[in-house]
Amino acid sequence: MSRKIAPYLLLIPTFLVIGLFIYWPAVYSFNLSFHRRTPFGNRMIFVGWKNFIRLFEWSEYTNTVVVTVSYVALSVSITVILSLLLAMLLNQKIPGVRLYRTFIFAPYAISPAIAGVLWSFLLNPVVGHVNYFLTKTFGLQVEWLTTKPYAFYSIVFATVWKMMPFDVIFYLAGLQSIPDELLESSIIDGASLWKRIRHIIVPLLSPITFYLVIMNIITTMFAAFAIIDVMTKGGPANSTTTMIYRLYLDAFAFQKTGIAAAESVVLFLIMSVVTIFYFLLVEKRVHYQ
Amino acid sequence: MKRSVVFFLVLLLVVFSAVGFGKVKIQFWHAMGGWRIELLNSMAQEFMKLHPDIEVEVQYTGSYRDTLNKLIAAVQAGEAPHVVQIYDIGTQVMIDGGIAVPMQDLIDSDPTFDIGVFMPQVLNYYRVNGKLYSMPFNSSNPILYYNKTLFKEAGLDPNDPPQTFEEVIEMGRKLVKRDAQGNIVQAGITWPFHSWFFEQFMANQNAPLVDNNNGRTGRPTKAIFNSPEGLKIFKFWNTLTKEGIIINTKKEDWTGARQLFLSQKVAMLISSTSDVKLMEDGAKENGFELGTAFLPRPADAESGGVVIGGGSLWIIGGHPKKEIDAAWEFVKWMALPDQQITWHQNTGYFPVRKDAVSKLLFSGYYAEHPHHLTALLQLLLSKQTYSTNGAIIGAFPEIREIIETAVEKMIAGEMTPEEALAWAEKESTKAIQEYNELYE
Repeated sequence: MSRKIAPYLLLIPTFLVIGLFIYWPAVYSFNLSFHRRTPFGNRMIFVGWKNFIRLFEWSEYTNTVVVTVSYVALSVSITVILSLLLAMLLNQKIPGVRLYRTFIFAPYAISPAIAGVLWSFLLNPVVGHVNYFLTKTFGLQVEWLTTKPYAFYSIVFATVWKMMPFDVIFYLAGLQSIPDELLESSIIDGASLWKRIRHIIVPLLSPITFYLVIMNIITTMFAAFAIIDVMTKGGPANSTTTMIYRLYLDAFAFQKTGIAAAESVVLFLIMSVVTIFYFLLVEKRVHYQ
Repeated sequence: MKRSVVFFLVLLLVVFSAVGFGKVKIQFWHAMGGWRIELLNSMAQEFMKLHPDIEVEVQYTGSYRDTLNKLIAAVQAGEAPHVVQIYDIGTQVMIDGGIAVPMQDLIDSDPTFDIGVFMPQVLNYYRVNGKLYSMPFNSSNPILYYNKTLFKEAGLDPNDPPQTFEEVIEMGRKLVKRDAQGNIVQAGITWPFHSWFFEQFMANQNAPLVDNNNGRTGRPTKAIFNSPEGLKIFKFWNTLTKEGIIINTKKEDWTGARQLFLSQKVAMLISSTSDVKLMEDGAKENGFELGTAFLPRPADAESGGVVIGGGSLWIIGGHPKKEIDAAWEFVKWMALPDQQITWHQNTGYFPVRKDAVSKLLFSGYYAEHPHHLTALLQLLLSKQTYSTNGAIIGAFPEIREIIETAVEKMIAGEMTPEEALAWAEKESTKAIQEYNELYE
C-alpha cells in the first residue's frame, strides 16, 4: 500500500508548483477573458464572448495575426537554414575554428533587450553604421526602423541574429555525432556534397531540426517582445505589432485586462493547434537513429 | 549579576524597538530615471534630516507606465506605497480607481497649507470637477528649440524663429541640405514621434480633443478631434514628411530626437521644456548657438495655449492615519519653494509655485538662463480654457497609441490626412466608450 502512495506523495511538490504558477493563472485568464475589469480591479463585469467578438472585428488585431504568422515563418525558416549552413562551416577542421565558434555564439549571451538596443544603434538612419556603409558604397539611405517594410525586415534580421547561436550549438553537436564511416563511405561511393547533405546529413539531423523548429516558434511567438519593444514599438502603422506585443499593450499600457486575457486565450489556442499538428504530421518524418 | 545583564539586554531591546517603531515608514515610488534618481534620493534624505521621526523609502519604479502597473499590482496585493508619482494622463484612471486620498481633503484639513500660491495653469490641469486629487510635481510643456548657427548658414535671421506652421515649412525648406545622390544630410525639423505634440498643437489652436468640454465637465463620450484644427496638424505633418523637411523618429523616441538636434542633423526641435538644461549644455558642447521659441500654430488659427504635461504626486489610501499624515508631510515639503527650485534647476521641469518663480526671477536666474524663461512665459501666456487645461480621458494612453498609428498610416501613404484623422477619431471614440462601459 505504502508503495502506491509514495510516488504520489513525491509528486505533490511538483504539482503544487505547477498548479500554483501555471494552471491557476491559466484558469484565471480563461475566466478573465469573459469579463471586463476596471484598471484597479474594483469592478468586474461578465461580458460573455464579447471580448472575442471585439477582437475579430478589429482590423488592427487581425492584422497582428498576419504580422505574427509572417514574422514567425520568416524568422524561423531563415534561422534554421542559416544555422545548419553555419554549423557545417564551423564543423570544418580549419585553423582558428574555435575562435569563430566563440564569435558566432556571442549573441546568445546577450539579452534580447540589449540586442534590440544594439540593432537600433546600428540601424539608426543618421548615425548608424549600416547606413554609413550603404551611403558610402551605394549612395543609399534607408529609414530602417521607421518605414515600411524595412522595419519588419529589421525585426526579422535582429531576431534571426539573436536566435541563431542556439540553433548552431545544437546542429554542431548533431553534426559531430554523425558517424564518420557514413560520410566516408558516401565519399567513396562518389556522392557529391549536395547529395551528402540531402541524403545523409539532413535526415540524420532531423530530430534536432524538429526540436529547434518548435523551440524557435515558441521563442518568436512569445519571447520576441523585447526586441520589438526596443526597436520599433510595433510601428510603423502596426507593421511590426505581433500578437504578443498587442497583448502587452492592451494589458500593461491600456489596462484592458479582459481583452488582453482574450488575446492570451487566442494565443494559447493557436499555439496548441500548431503544436498538436506539428507533432502529428511532422514527427512521422523525423528519422531517429 | 547574570540576571541583571539579561534584564539590561531586554530593556535595551525594548527601548530600541520602541525607537524603531516610533519611526513612521513611508514608501515613495517615482518614475524619474537617470540622474534624477540620485536627485530625488538626496531630497528625501534632506527631508528625513528635518523629520527624524519619518523614514522615506524612495524607489525608482521604471517608466510612468511601469509605475502605474506596479501600483495596480501593489494595490491588489494590499501592499500599496504611500506616495506615488503618476503621469498626467493617468489622472482619470486614478480617480476611477478610488484608491487615493484626494489631495483636496488633506489641504482642507491643514490650515498651514495655502494652495493659492500654486500657479493656476498647473492647478487647472490637475483639478477635476473642482477638486484637486494630486499634488502637481513635475510639469513641462513643449517648446521649439532651434540652432541659430544653422539658421545663419541658411541665410535666415537667427533672431526670427518660425511662429506658424507655414513659416516652419518655408524655413524648413531652406534648412534642408542634400548630397549629390539626393539623400538628406541635414533636415529642417524633428520632434519625438509622439501623440503629445498633436495634443499640444490642438490646444495651441484652442481646440478640444473630446466632448463634454474636453472631459472637464463630465465623462467624455466621444472624440471630436476630427476638426479643421486637427486636419491642419495632420496636413502639416504630412507636408513636412513628403518634402523631407522632418525626420520622423521611432515611436516615442525622445532621446533619438534630442540626438538629431544636438548632432546638428536637424536645425529645429520641438521637445519638452524638461530638456532645457540638457540642450543648453549640449549646444555648448557641440559648438552651436541655441535659440528657443514658442510652439508654432497655423497662421489663421485661433490663439490658444499649451497644456501642462508631466506628473503629479498621489497619496494612496488604506494606510494607518499616522502614515498618511507622514506622507502628507512629505508631499507638502516637496512642494515648498526651495525644493521646487532645486528640482527646476536640475531638470528643467518648471516650478509649480508662484513664490518659487518670483524668487528665481529676483535672483537673476532667468537673465542667465533665457531659455528657461521661454518655457515659463509660454505657459503664463497661455489662454486658460477647457482646451488648454488638457483633456481628461480614462482611455488616454490608448488614444495616444491610436493617434500615433494614424499618423504613421498617413505618412506611409496608406491613408490621406482626412482618412487617417477620421480613422483615429473613430477608434478613439470606441476606446472611450469601452472605458465608459466599465463605469456605467
